[in-house]
Amino acid sequence: MNNKTFLKRTEARKLKNFSELGALNISWAASLVIALVLLYNNFDKSVMGFYIDKMSFPLGLAYLAAAALSLALALASRAGIKAKDGIAPWVRAAAVLLVPFVLIGNVFSAIAGFMTAKKTKPIEYHLAYFSILNNMMVFVIGSLNLFKPELPENFWLGQGLLALSMAFYAVALVLVSRAADTGRYARLAPLAAILALTAAVGNVFALLLALVVFARIRNEGGRNSIEWVETLRRVFRNYMAILGLLVIVVLLTLSVVSALTFDYRTATSNDYSTLMRAPSMEFPFGTDDLGRCIFTRIVFGARISLIIGMISTAAPFVVGGLLGAAAGFYENRLDNVIMRVMDVFFAVPGTLLTIAIIAAFGANMLNLIIALSISNVPVYARTMRAQVMVTSNSEFVEAARGYGRRPFEILLKHVVPNSMAPMIVRASVSIGIAVLSTSSLSYLGLGVEPKIPEWGNILKIGSKYLETNPYLAIYPGIFIIVLVLAFNFLGDGMRDALDPKLK
Amino acid sequence: MFVNFIRTSFQKTFSKTSSRTLLLLLGALFFLPAYFYYLTKRGDDPYGARLREIRLGMEKDGTKTALLDEVGGHVRRKAEFFGGHVGRDEIDAVAEARLKDEALRRLRQEAPDLLPFSFQSAVASFMSKPPVMALFVVFAFPAFIFLVLMANAYVKYTYERLIMTVFVVLGVTFLVFTILYISPMDASYNILGDLATQDQRNEFNAAYGLDKPYLEQLFRAFKGIVTLNPGKSLLGGEDVIVSLANKFPVTLQLTFYSLLLAVIIAVPSGILSALKPYSAADYTVMLLALIGLSIPAFWFGLILILNLSIDHKILPAIFMPGSWQSYIMPAVVMGTGLAASVARMTRSSMLEVIRQDFIMTAKAKGLSSAAVTVRHALGNAMIPVVTVVGIQFGAMMGGATVVEKVFNMPGIGNWLIDKQFIPDTPAVLAGVVYIAIVVSLVNLFVDILYAFLDPRIKMKIKGN
Repeated sequence: MNNKTFLKRTEARKLKNFSELGALNISWAASLVIALVLLYNNFDKSVMGFYIDKMSFPLGLAYLAAAALSLALALASRAGIKAKDGIAPWVRAAAVLLVPFVLIGNVFSAIAGFMTAKKTKPIEYHLAYFSILNNMMVFVIGSLNLFKPELPENFWLGQGLLALSMAFYAVALVLVSRAADTGRYARLAPLAAILALTAAVGNVFALLLALVVFARIRNEGGRNSIEWVETLRRVFRNYMAILGLLVIVVLLTLSVVSALTFDYRTATSNDYSTLMRAPSMEFPFGTDDLGRCIFTRIVFGARISLIIGMISTAAPFVVGGLLGAAAGFYENRLDNVIMRVMDVFFAVPGTLLTIAIIAAFGANMLNLIIALSISNVPVYARTMRAQVMVTSNSEFVEAARGYGRRPFEILLKHVVPNSMAPMIVRASVSIGIAVLSTSSLSYLGLGVEPKIPEWGNILKIGSKYLETNPYLAIYPGIFIIVLVLAFNFLGDGMRDALDPKLK
Repeated sequence: MFVNFIRTSFQKTFSKTSSRTLLLLLGALFFLPAYFYYLTKRGDDPYGARLREIRLGMEKDGTKTALLDEVGGHVRRKAEFFGGHVGRDEIDAVAEARLKDEALRRLRQEAPDLLPFSFQSAVASFMSKPPVMALFVVFAFPAFIFLVLMANAYVKYTYERLIMTVFVVLGVTFLVFTILYISPMDASYNILGDLATQDQRNEFNAAYGLDKPYLEQLFRAFKGIVTLNPGKSLLGGEDVIVSLANKFPVTLQLTFYSLLLAVIIAVPSGILSALKPYSAADYTVMLLALIGLSIPAFWFGLILILNLSIDHKILPAIFMPGSWQSYIMPAVVMGTGLAASVARMTRSSMLEVIRQDFIMTAKAKGLSSAAVTVRHALGNAMIPVVTVVGIQFGAMMGGATVVEKVFNMPGIGNWLIDKQFIPDTPAVLAGVVYIAIVVSLVNLFVDILYAFLDPRIKMKIKGN
């Protein structure tokens, strides 16, 4: 019997080593769930019968197809791993068929397809196909505007640029993967430079890819391992973390590209001919009491949420980090003064401090950012101080001291860079919290001005029509959850990747 | 024995600035005469005299020159190694410091009881005489009780934390008042409307003391907070403290119920997750916890109202005083976020404890896994969870604002939101500061609880 459990455990471990199998499993399960939800839309509760909806029925069928294909591939690769310790070449070739499902928004299948298609997967390969997927998602979301009676002025320019960059990423995918296999990166510098340029639309994956290639060139073809690239590789091992990163980067790219592919007027100007429409192809999430398209408003709301979230995390990160580093390194009167002041800020619950600041200076975006930043400073100061106190006691700091370096130099060059891990983890989680606070405060009328399409503002209007048009409140809420969840998953992934115990 | 006990406690208490002032105040009747005694005695200082003698002796027997040579060699060699250059005075400074240390060391060896002469040491040696001690007990009885209490490590710790809390509360009052004072908003404009003349506005400001200088207003704010009489609100002239007293129970009850709900759900599920890590149950609990962390409270509240109140009419949609059903949905909404963080904390702290050596020992001893979990792992794993709950309590008192608004509950947060548009300085100030006081007291309580629970902290407190 013992022998049996042992064999079972070895087999489980063997299956676990193949990240492709996990991705395929998630792909079929997620696709199936989405397909069922979509097909349920065709079921009319009042007459207990089916009818065929133009939008959700074909979509549901497509998701069902993706689920079936993923399941078949998952079973085939499982059998292959069990029998021959590897996935058969025909399975890998067939997996490419999963990629086009991204056109109906099925990223799960597309990720599984890319993951299964190649046997050895260097970090460059992951980054390249995530760059493609990211722009593809933004392209698909923008394409929904085709159902609107008139297109935004620069719509085709935006979509064309996205398509062009995707073709370029496909070329980069091939070149970079080949370079990773052979270790010859030297001639890829121009490619990396263009990649970095295309990242201007917000495609963080392309930027990371460019940085990795530059780092490899400097490091003679990746013979030496680079600390941050290794950390990145560990983050990419965590499926949920990269899915979270994908959601964030898609929204980031969308908030840049929406300047071309979306029309800001649809989001803000009243249209009395389209009041309170239910969701349809033209208005995917319906319209509100002033006839504005909720979908477009949510797209522009992502921009506000991300800007506020990032600034109100970056500012206290720097200020709190510096204060905490000073307090932790110069353990004396300075520490006492800084930490007592921080205690005062810490004693007031964050929401109340924000309310007090906004009460004093009025509700608008700048004051909101200032208020959120101030109430976050003590958290970062405490985190940094605790870590700096640990780091200051390590041997390499002692060595630097023995070598006669000045204390300030030691703090800046040795202690602070080695105390960043908990700060980074906290930052990725606190952007999510900032997004939540922003929408809550806007809902209370204390955040962003009501005329700006911010998620909390959209929800506030929706909450007035909860009884008659609940979708007005449901969709923006789901977007808030998805974005915050994405930051939380990414934060967990970063924590595991940076944890020295799990390396 | 008894005299020694009081003397040690006096030495310790006196050397801390935070407790010295109180000690001197409590024992003024004794310390004032003692101070005069000290002034008369200041002429002869046995400690300083002996130290000078030792220094002279060191110069005579050649220790000084030997030390100078040695130190000079060290400093020069160090400079040579790093390629630097040292001056004569640098060597002298280092040598002087070494000489002083050496003299002090010899003095300590020779007469360990001799203390540097100061008011503290003078009183301490004076006190060692039993008749003086009797006088101290009679004339400075409060100070005597204070010293007896401070000899206990826990009392001392609590006292120090309490003093800190008082300063934090004063700091919070200062902070919030200053923020509201430098506000560009004009309360008189918002209350009297834009048709009011400048004279009417000035009159309003004079009536509420808003035209007084900053320091005077700040002092009044401090006085109001300390004497529990923060004044009347600008709009409507309601008594702020009475309104707060009416609203406070609602917020406190809401916070308490959600805390209870969260702990009841989260702690068992966190333990379950940790006992079977990477199982389907673990993944489900952790996914739910992460979703719970990501749900905006007001949205969740709206969805619950939509489903339970509007569609199915099970629970009341808005708050009705005196009905316990009104608390269910708000408590669930507020408890969700807390339950999520407590469950995550319980899991990670439990996993951390399970991997430790003493758990291995307990298992090796032959205890059943249930006994190991309950008797050895649980208590230790709960320590960080208590902290999280304590910290979250503060966040919840503030976060209740949103939930109170969604369910229209008459709590402090809801009231504050209505007041802040003006901005109604006395009301906003009092609301924020009193909540901060409650939060600080809860944190203080958690810290003290912690000191009793965690043997490591117990050691640290006693060691000091």
